[in-house]
Amino acid sequence: MLNNRSATLIAAAVLLPALCAGPAWGGADPRGLLKESENRHRTRTQQYAGQLTVVNQDGKVRKKGWKSFREGYAGDAKNLIRFTDPPEVKGVGFLSLARPGGQNPDQWLYLPSMKRERRIAAQDRDASFVGTDFNYEDMEEFDHEKYAVTLQGEETVEGHLSYVIVAVPLEKGGKSVYEKKTIYLRKDILYLLREDLYRKGDSEPSKRLILSDLQNIDGHWVAKSMEMSDLRKGSKTTVLLKEVAFDMPQAANRFTLQNLNREGGD
Amino acid sequence: MTRPQIPIILVFICLLLPSAAEAQGGSGYAEAKGFAYAERSNSRDPWVLGWGTLFTKWEERVGAAQLTASVRGEGISSGEGGPLVFDPADRDIRSSPLSVQDLWLRYPLSPSVDLQLGRFQLGWGKTDGYSPADAFLPRDLSDPFADEKIPLWAIRLSGQDGAVRYEAVGCPVTTPWRLPVLGSRNAPLKVEGLPAGTVFTEIDSPPPVEGFAALRLLATLGEWDLGAWGRFGVRPAPLLDFRFDRATLTPSGPIVPIERRYAREEGAGVELSRIAGAWVLRGEAAALFSADRDLGDAVIGALSAERGFGDGTLLITLAGNALATPVDAQLLFDRGILPALITAWNRTEEWGEWKLVWTAGLRHGDGLLKGEAGYNLTDLWKLTVGGELPYGSEEGLFGALNAARRLHVALRRSW
Repeated sequence: MLNNRSATLIAAAVLLPALCAGPAWGGADPRGLLKESENRHRTRTQQYAGQLTVVNQDGKVRKKGWKSFREGYAGDAKNLIRFTDPPEVKGVGFLSLARPGGQNPDQWLYLPSMKRERRIAAQDRDASFVGTDFNYEDMEEFDHEKYAVTLQGEETVEGHLSYVIVAVPLEKGGKSVYEKKTIYLRKDILYLLREDLYRKGDSEPSKRLILSDLQNIDGHWVAKSMEMSDLRKGSKTTVLLKEVAFDMPQAANRFTLQNLNREGGD
Repeated sequence: MTRPQIPIILVFICLLLPSAAEAQGGSGYAEAKGFAYAERSNSRDPWVLGWGTLFTKWEERVGAAQLTASVRGEGISSGEGGPLVFDPADRDIRSSPLSVQDLWLRYPLSPSVDLQLGRFQLGWGKTDGYSPADAFLPRDLSDPFADEKIPLWAIRLSGQDGAVRYEAVGCPVTTPWRLPVLGSRNAPLKVEGLPAGTVFTEIDSPPPVEGFAALRLLATLGEWDLGAWGRFGVRPAPLLDFRFDRATLTPSGPIVPIERRYAREEGAGVELSRIAGAWVLRGEAAALFSADRDLGDAVIGALSAERGFGDGTLLITLAGNALATPVDAQLLFDRGILPALITAWNRTEEWGEWKLVWTAGLRHGDGLLKGEAGYNLTDLWKLTVGGELPYGSEEGLFGALNAARRLHVALRRSW
C-alpha cells in the first residue's frame, strides 16, 4: 500500500512532466513540420491555367488569365508564367529561377511591346505583379530555409486544426519585402492554408493569402483557389487553378531566357 | 467622303461593335485618337487631327512551329498617309493605309535553337530611353512623338547554351525610316540662306534593296548581364540631299527638292546591366563607322539607372555621341537628340497607369515633356489622355517642333 507521501510523489511524478510540457503542440518542431510539409507536397513539376479576378477597393472587377509552369519545388523551383488575357497583357511572361544559398531568385519580365526581357531588381519585389495583388516576392515559392521559424500555437482555419508558424526572413542572400510571415499549416496533411504577411514596421498584417478548395489530384494535394488580399488597400486577387497537372514532363529549355523571349510561346 | 475618312469611320464602327470575333489565338484593337494643336507652322497644318487604327493579330501553333500574322489599317484625317498600295516592306515614302506588321514563322531546330523568318520586330539593347543597339532599327516618325518601330523582313537564328544566348539576324531588304511630311510642323526644315516660305518637295527615291546582317551575344553571370553585338550593311535612316541644283523659284518662294539616300555603316557595341541594391544599372557603348561624307563615324554611349518605388519606376538615361557629326545631327535622325538626358517616371494605379517623360537636349537646351494617363474603363476599353510639349531653342530637335505642341485623347477597344 502506498502511503500518502508516496502517493503524493507518484502523483507529482506523473503530473509534473505533463504540466511542464505545456500545450500539446509545444513539442512540435516547426522546422521539422515545414520540412515534412515540403517532402509530402514536393512534386517534380506542376502546371495549371490560372483564372484571375482582381477586385479593387471600389468593387471594380478585372479578369486576367495566365498559364503557369513550375519545375522543382521551394528552394530549387523554376517558374514560368505567361499571361493569356486580357489583350493588354497577353504574351507578358515572367521567369523566376531559384538561386542557391538562400539568395533571392533571379526574376525577369518579358514585355511583348518591347520585344525583350527586363530584370527585376530587389526594390521591385514589392511592386504589383502585372496589376494583381501579388508582388514579385509573392510569386516566389516559399522556401522555409530562408526563414527563422517558431511555432506559435494551433488555430482552426476553415474548420481545420492548423499549426501557426511565424517565419522571419533571414535575409542572408537578399532583402525581403516582409518583416515576417505567419503561416497556417493544416495539421492533418501539413498543407498551407493561410499566410499573413507583415510589411516591415507593421504590427498588423498588410496582406493575407488564403488557399482553399483543396483537392487531391494524382496523389497530390492542391488548393484550387488562392486569394491574396491587400488589407490596406481593400483589394483582392483570386486565382482559380484549372487544368492542374503534376509531374508532367516540361519542354526542354522552358525555364530559360531564350524561351521567355519567345513571342507566342509558353 | 475622302479616302482618309473611310478607315476612321470603320474604326468607330469597330469600337461600337458589342463584341469582336474571337478567332483561336486572335487579338487586336481598334483605336480612335484625336489631337489638338496649339499652333500651326503653315497653313497646311490642321488645328485638329483624327487618327484611326484597326489592328488584328492571329497566332497559331502548327506542330512545333509558331505562326503569327498581323495587319494594321490606319487612317489620318489630314491625308498625310499614302495611297493604298502593295508595299510589304514599308519602303514607300508614305505609309499605305493597310500594312502587314507580322508575318512570321518560328521553328525550333532543337530545344534551344530557333529559326524565325518573315516579317517581325526586333528589340535590341539594354538601355531604355536611348539604346545605340536599338536606335538604328527603322522607325516611323509620322507621329514624331510616338517612337514607333517598323518591322523588318528578316531571318533570325537564336539560341541559348547555358548562360550564353546568341542571335544572328539577316535582313535581306532595307525597310527605311519613315519621315513625316518634310516642312510640316512634324519635320520643320531650316536651311541657312533660304528665305521664309521655302517649300520642300520630297523625291521618292527608292532605298537600296540590300539590308543588313547582325550578330548579338548575351550572357547572364550572377548579377551581371553582358552583351556584345556587331552589324554591317545599309543604315535604314536616310540622309537628306537638298537638291539646290534642281530648285525652282515661284512667286511665293523657292521650291527645293529633297532626295533621300542611304549609307552603308558598320557598327559594334557592348551592353552591360547589373543589379546594384535597389537599382538596375545599364550601360551601352557603340562604335559606328561609315565612309559616307555626311554620316561619318560615331562613338555613342548610353547609361541608365532604374529604380522601382512600389508600383512606380524611375528611369534616368544619359546618352551622347563622343564625335561631332559632319552635318546637323538633326538630319541624322537616330543621332538627332544626342546628347540627351531622359527621365521617365511611370506608375501603375488601380485605375490604369500614367507616365511622365522629360527629355532634355543637352546641346541646345531644348527638350520635350510628355505626359500620359491611361484609364481602364473595363478589361477591354481604355481611355488615354496626354500631351506633348516640346520647348526651347529651335536649333535643337525638340525646340524645332514647337508648333507640334498638342494634347491628345484616345479610346481603344481591345479583343
